[in-house]
Amino acid sequence: MNNWQRILSVARRELRIIRNRPLYFMGSIGVIAFCAIFFLTFLDHGLPDDIPIGVVDEDYSTTSRNFCQQLDATQLGKVVHYDSFSSAREDMTSGKIAGVCVIPAGMNEDIQAFRQPKITFYVNGLYFVSGALAWKDLLTMVNLTNGAVQREVLRAKGFNDSQIMGMIRPIDIDTHQIGNVTTNYNYYLSGILLPGVLEMIVILVLIYSLGAELKFGTSRHLMDTSGHSIVTALAGKLLVWTVVFSAIGFVLVMLLYHWLHFPISGSIFNMFIAMFLMILASEAIAIFILEMLPVPRLALSIGALYSVLGFSLSGFTLPLEAMPPYIQGLASAFPLRHYYLFYVQEVIFGAGFAGWWKEVIYLLMFLFVPLIDLNRLKKAYIHQNFPKE
Amino acid sequence: MAKEGFIKTWLRDWWDIFCHELKQIFSDGGVLLIFFVAGLAYPLLYNLVYLNGILSDTPIAVVDDADCSDSRRFIREIDATREVEVAAKCVNMAEAEQLMKDRKVNGIVYFPRDFGEKLARNETAKLSLYADMSSFLYYKNAMIATNFVMLHEIGQIQMERYSLAGMTEQEASQVIKPLGYEDNNPFNRAFNYSFFLISAILMIIIQQTMFYGMSLLVGTQRERNHSFASLPDKLEGHGMVRVVLGRGGAYWLLYLGIGMYIAFIVPAIFGIPQRGQFGDVLAMLLFFITDCVFFSMTWSTLITRRESVFLLFLAMSPICLFLTGCSWPTVAFPGFWKAFSYIFPSTFGVQGYINLSTAGGDISAAGSQMRIMILQTIIYFGAACGCIFAENWVIRHKEEIREKRDALAKRAGIDKAEDARIIAGK
Repeated sequence: MNNWQRILSVARRELRIIRNRPLYFMGSIGVIAFCAIFFLTFLDHGLPDDIPIGVVDEDYSTTSRNFCQQLDATQLGKVVHYDSFSSAREDMTSGKIAGVCVIPAGMNEDIQAFRQPKITFYVNGLYFVSGALAWKDLLTMVNLTNGAVQREVLRAKGFNDSQIMGMIRPIDIDTHQIGNVTTNYNYYLSGILLPGVLEMIVILVLIYSLGAELKFGTSRHLMDTSGHSIVTALAGKLLVWTVVFSAIGFVLVMLLYHWLHFPISGSIFNMFIAMFLMILASEAIAIFILEMLPVPRLALSIGALYSVLGFSLSGFTLPLEAMPPYIQGLASAFPLRHYYLFYVQEVIFGAGFAGWWKEVIYLLMFLFVPLIDLNRLKKAYIHQNFPKE
Repeated sequence: MAKEGFIKTWLRDWWDIFCHELKQIFSDGGVLLIFFVAGLAYPLLYNLVYLNGILSDTPIAVVDDADCSDSRRFIREIDATREVEVAAKCVNMAEAEQLMKDRKVNGIVYFPRDFGEKLARNETAKLSLYADMSSFLYYKNAMIATNFVMLHEIGQIQMERYSLAGMTEQEASQVIKPLGYEDNNPFNRAFNYSFFLISAILMIIIQQTMFYGMSLLVGTQRERNHSFASLPDKLEGHGMVRVVLGRGGAYWLLYLGIGMYIAFIVPAIFGIPQRGQFGDVLAMLLFFITDCVFFSMTWSTLITRRESVFLLFLAMSPICLFLTGCSWPTVAFPGFWKAFSYIFPSTFGVQGYINLSTAGGDISAAGSQMRIMILQTIIYFGAACGCIFAENWVIRHKEEIREKRDALAKRAGIDKAEDARIIAGK
């Protein structure tokens, strides 16, 4: 038997193992399918709307009613009326409403008489997205009300509408959101969270697959099948798993950027490359963890602790620059971080090869990590001299 | 031996099961790793990752085609904000775009050629902001900085224009700002990322580590052909309650310690606000831990092998985080997922903890959450007893189930002997 045939017979053996244990199917395709359905339907709206904002109207005037109606009519906000500030504040503290807006008594009169009344508003920044959006919505409404009053005054003074625009709004900003025009949270979060889940799956399933040989004591037979070469054994097993994971990864990329039309300025084929490299790098990490600690149960726990951290350290929510320097360095040890940087270049900027070639090199460097001590795994496979579970 | 009273027997059984479970926990390296390394070190690690929590001085590039005093003042004022730092002044957009692609800057502010002229002509002058959306915090910073500077500038320019239109300074200032505002963000003044996220992660760590640890043990016992329900088997199907309470007591005791460390000591180390009354938070925490114990006990029944819990349920951790509503608001949940979120104690534990400890509300601020947790506890207690009952049934019908399984495998065309030969060489 030559080496290629040995690899194929290890691969055939691996397929039998997968067929025998439904856990492999559930742990890979089952988990990613559930997560994809979850995140893509959960964030389907893109941006939350009708966030409840409490209003305590102590004025009861046409202006205050108008203000409430306008606030209610914004896409972001939905007005909930309260009689007293204390009950509104209680509801804000318990997270039922995102913010409270207090309209002072006599506001209408004060505006008419230019006594400059003040609207006071409070938001709950601990419910992050709703708090920030309520804050933005209230701020916009106050500024719009200001503009409306100014327009009335200027009209009374005899200015025409085009002059008034220049007076009310001397400067305007037009904002271009590069890569995500509509501030869509689904594009933003699912685009990284789902590959992150895949990274997790690759690491865990592969550690389990390699560790199960030790756990069930089948590793000697594996070595027999592979002609006592650890490289052949790994090649055979990895052949199967790389095909499975890549298939999942490619479907994921197709799902996001083709079927669901997530915006992408570059090419979807380059994202296939990114996905494939991330999968390979994660496989390398899995092998590394198991060869350093050929005790399946501990290796799997460590793999779990490692892969959970990947989400935070990829820096796609809180950017890496805001983390302490020693954590920033640590982030490079996660394939998801490099996938994210690749994604920024390809999906957001469409920079192509010139933008992401470095990430390709970093991801390929992961492949050398298992070579540090493959012999250790081989010895463990042959002697089975580590605790089995 | 004289027959002992029911209560005495009950208590002795309970004590035996309780001690047995504690022994199991402390003799299993994997479980200890999850409980003590993950449970104790992860809160610290996450705090380090989110130590600053605020992104300041996001670098942006400026392209000033207008080159007038107004645009220069605008640029100086943007640079002075906390949110943004002018990292580069570029001669044209191409250069700025290249800097953005190189990730040297995360935003571009562009002043068109006619910016100054339009201001002089009393028209609306437009400037453009290009924000990098690779992280929404970059966008938020660039937005806030330019908008605040714009509002400030507008005030100044309006003063000039209104004076030109013949108003006195007093009149002008009244017309410019007929309605003032005062914004407060009492619990999280600067929209600090760590305050809400850490509070949520801490409670999730309690629930998830408990679930993973317990599942590891259940899986191990099943692999060794013991069962976590073997004791009632001796009692011929009676005594489900003492098994549930005995095992639960062991975890409850451990997590009383770990939970108090996570809920009180960790935030104190890292300066996460602890505005709540100690007693209130502790009461909430006890409800939460009790809930988590029965929750874990129920769901860990699904675990047949030691390692399978990570393969199947590790991805639930980020999902639980989203279901708490601390980032994506609960009102925006699709109906199905809202119902789904009621499965997890963490949904309410996190909200309760944020409302009580981080926001400093009194116990009523977590009232509805605590009521749901009590309801969950009752349901999961019943479910945990039911699982013990089911487990006993399975143990008693082991042979039949195996036969059925083999028959199913045969029908699906799986030859187990052949598989065993190929996999293990036997």
